[in-house]
Amino acid sequence: MHSKRTTHSKAYKKREMEKMKDTFVTVLDKMKNQGATYAEIRAQKNNNTLINVVDGQIEAVTIARETGAALRILAQGAWGFSTTNSLSQGDLEKSAQSALKMAKAAGKSVREPVKLAQVKPVEDKVKVRIKKDPKEIDIKTKIDNLLTINKECLRFDKRIKSVTIRYADLATDQTLATSEGAFIEQEKKFVWNYCWVTGKSNGNMASARDETGMHGYELFDLEPPAKIAQRVSKIVAQQLEARTPKGGEHQAIIGTNIVGVLAHEALGHICEADLTLSGSALMGKLKQKIANEKVTIYDTALLQEGFGAIKYDDEGVLGQNTVLIKNGLLVGLMHNRETAAKMGMQPTGNARAQDFRVPPLIRMRNTCFDKGDYSFEELLEGIGFGYYLEAFRGGQANLDGTFTVGVQSAFEILKGELGQPVRNVGISGNTLETLKQVDACGKDFGLEMGRCGKGQSMFASSGGPPLRVNKILIGGA
Amino acid sequence: MSHIELCRKAVETARRIGAKEAEAFITGGRTVSVEIERGEIKTCSDVTDIGMAIRAITDGKRGFAYTNVLTREEVEKTAKQAVAASSASLRDKNWTQLPEKSRYQTVQKTYDKRILEVTSDRAVEFCQRIIGSCGEVDKRVLAAFGGAEVSNQQMACANSYGVEVEDRGTILVCSLATMARSETQVTPICVEFKASRTYDPDPEWVGKEAAKLASEALNVGKAEAGKFPVLLDPFALNSVLMFTLIESVKGDIVHRGRSILMEKVGKKIAAENISLHDDGTLAGGLYSGKADFEGVPRQKTPLIEGGTLRGFIYDNYWARLEKKWSTGNAGRGGGGLNLPAYCTVPSISPTNLRLEPGTASETELIREVKNGYYVRSVQGAHQSNPETGDFSVAITPAWRIEKGEIRHAVKGVMIAGNIYDLLNKIQLLGKETRQVGNLIAPKIVVSNLNVIAK
Repeated sequence: MHSKRTTHSKAYKKREMEKMKDTFVTVLDKMKNQGATYAEIRAQKNNNTLINVVDGQIEAVTIARETGAALRILAQGAWGFSTTNSLSQGDLEKSAQSALKMAKAAGKSVREPVKLAQVKPVEDKVKVRIKKDPKEIDIKTKIDNLLTINKECLRFDKRIKSVTIRYADLATDQTLATSEGAFIEQEKKFVWNYCWVTGKSNGNMASARDETGMHGYELFDLEPPAKIAQRVSKIVAQQLEARTPKGGEHQAIIGTNIVGVLAHEALGHICEADLTLSGSALMGKLKQKIANEKVTIYDTALLQEGFGAIKYDDEGVLGQNTVLIKNGLLVGLMHNRETAAKMGMQPTGNARAQDFRVPPLIRMRNTCFDKGDYSFEELLEGIGFGYYLEAFRGGQANLDGTFTVGVQSAFEILKGELGQPVRNVGISGNTLETLKQVDACGKDFGLEMGRCGKGQSMFASSGGPPLRVNKILIGGA
Repeated sequence: MSHIELCRKAVETARRIGAKEAEAFITGGRTVSVEIERGEIKTCSDVTDIGMAIRAITDGKRGFAYTNVLTREEVEKTAKQAVAASSASLRDKNWTQLPEKSRYQTVQKTYDKRILEVTSDRAVEFCQRIIGSCGEVDKRVLAAFGGAEVSNQQMACANSYGVEVEDRGTILVCSLATMARSETQVTPICVEFKASRTYDPDPEWVGKEAAKLASEALNVGKAEAGKFPVLLDPFALNSVLMFTLIESVKGDIVHRGRSILMEKVGKKIAAENISLHDDGTLAGGLYSGKADFEGVPRQKTPLIEGGTLRGFIYDNYWARLEKKWSTGNAGRGGGGLNLPAYCTVPSISPTNLRLEPGTASETELIREVKNGYYVRSVQGAHQSNPETGDFSVAITPAWRIEKGEIRHAVKGVMIAGNIYDLLNKIQLLGKETRQVGNLIAPKIVVSNLNVIAK
């Protein structure tokens, strides 16, 4: 279905934007006059399409529009936050007043006032670079692609019994205006596909998940439905014959599907400067050696195909490539303007908000291990007994550096060769120990599209080459 | 227009333009919250987010739309969008109908005017008291993050079968996550909170208890691998149960052949001392209310009684498919993208899951373990296998129990097992219960759990 849209001339749109800009500037100026050190309006118009397919039946087709604005104000050294579902001057002012009141309430007891690192306020208009805009694809095509995934999963193996698919395309037109004079119109688009597939055989059950995404609908050209179906169904079939791994510390190869999660969970979260400052295991460790010299890890906004590619973050800071670990040395953290000022560093463009309902937090973008020069065979060589960890199910980090990664597909390694599949299992380690155990990096590279939860959900990517680690804790029997 | 009038208007509009069945559901409210960050009060927010979800169904073709602007004009537009979405959809051969009209009972202790009177200044004061009492315990402990939050939630639902229901609720939460550092150690995050539907704040208790946990987690000693009895806190038990057993008692998972429990109603699946109910009518329960998120009355549903599996939880769609009645377990929201409740169609979710307590005191529980571990929280439970019930998680924080006493904290340790095996090995249940997430439970002693350490 094509929803009918009123098409306006470019000149009309430009006039409307000028009007909106005037409104925002008026509201922001009023806040400054009433004692705000800094004020920001982040307005969004969102168009979302969601389709769920449950065992071949369409659960619902969702078509939704949302409008809203987030108002964030710094006054008396503290933040105030409020939202509104209307972009009229009256409602924006009301909401701004509420945010100002909140800032003043929080500011009463502040010992160390919040300061913001200086950035040059920019005016810019940013379009997403995509080949196929999801809004130009009709619902029927979208449904057909999902039904093909369902059909291909069932066809792959008779033992596959159940398929759940969640599809979403989310489009946001965001306008960010600050009291410092920034005015950025930025388009964001995400096309996301998730499947959960279950198989059964002789009372044995196994399942696997698959998650993929891009900024445009060309996703399904690069990842055709049949390819997605085969990738996830293959894991289910293997898991049905898998045996329980041995618990304890083992040598392992971490595959390209998992390595990014390791970068994200084992290092990324505790490199988010708000968490580092909250006493994470990396507090006070800048410029120190925390990993094997073969390890280089970065978080970049510039990898265009990644889910975390952004030109500006939600504080109007230009996105960049931030190196976190360079040859084993901790060289950088991910900042917003507040933590950058606190630590005397530069903001890195990591401040991101799920939507207009919430303020931006320090979030990862595309977090990756750098490539090495080992072939997969060379990584396998010399492993007497260990595990090849192929695909992940989820991960979680703790401030003390404890991380866990759920593995949904893994194989034994026996005398340098891949052996039997093993049942899904959790692995765990500690950043400061595990990164020292990386002794070789492969030359292939994989990138995974996913979501990260830190109170808010955020699209982010992670990736890297296969890695060999001397030991990692496997939660088996 | 009142919320219920807006719902009626939406249903009428959808029906007028061709929907055979329609439903409008309003949910959301206002939340004032103050955040603690690194021992300071840094952010205060006042957010109102409320929206309407509309389902329109014709010939089994289901359409859905939502809006966050509750005006008559916008509601009519959204109803049209839901109908358009339904025309674009395909027929679901399993569709029967939306819920029928019901009677509702009022649930006690879910709304308290005194919570609405908590101003941002008062919430700031709660936070100061949390930080203050945390600081008194141990100087090595940092009040990393947390805060105070008051929320006023509303709900309204109407459908074309005459369902009409309105409800409201309040909640007050004080919370604190701490960590402690010494020359040689950093503790994991240690969380404490108090949440109540009626006005009953205790910020000092939250600050003090969160600080004690981190302080006690600093004293790290050796861990031993092997099979050990383990004392599980409701925090740990909630995480493990939600991603294993609770997934498998959902009616859709059962109907779709994905539940290991599908053929086991009436059979023993747990130790005889285990009884578990889903109770959406519990006075003061964090998930209690008059009706579920499609207008079906909340109720009390037995899941396990005396170790025997009694049944499952359902929403309207999956119950009708099984020729049963909904158990009032339709929830909304989430869907992998953390969307607000009004942004998604209903799906089956538990309310308050009450595990019947035993009679043991704290000392008796620790003495029963004798030589094992106390696990406060686990990390990585969402990576469990919901179909088989297998889990392997890191335990953070956790302590070694030796000679019937808590000795020292442990780090870098995992526990692994299967939930159905665990349920049969519950030796002893505590007498004190508390609610953590959906679960209301005591601490429990599990014999012979697999502990993996370096």
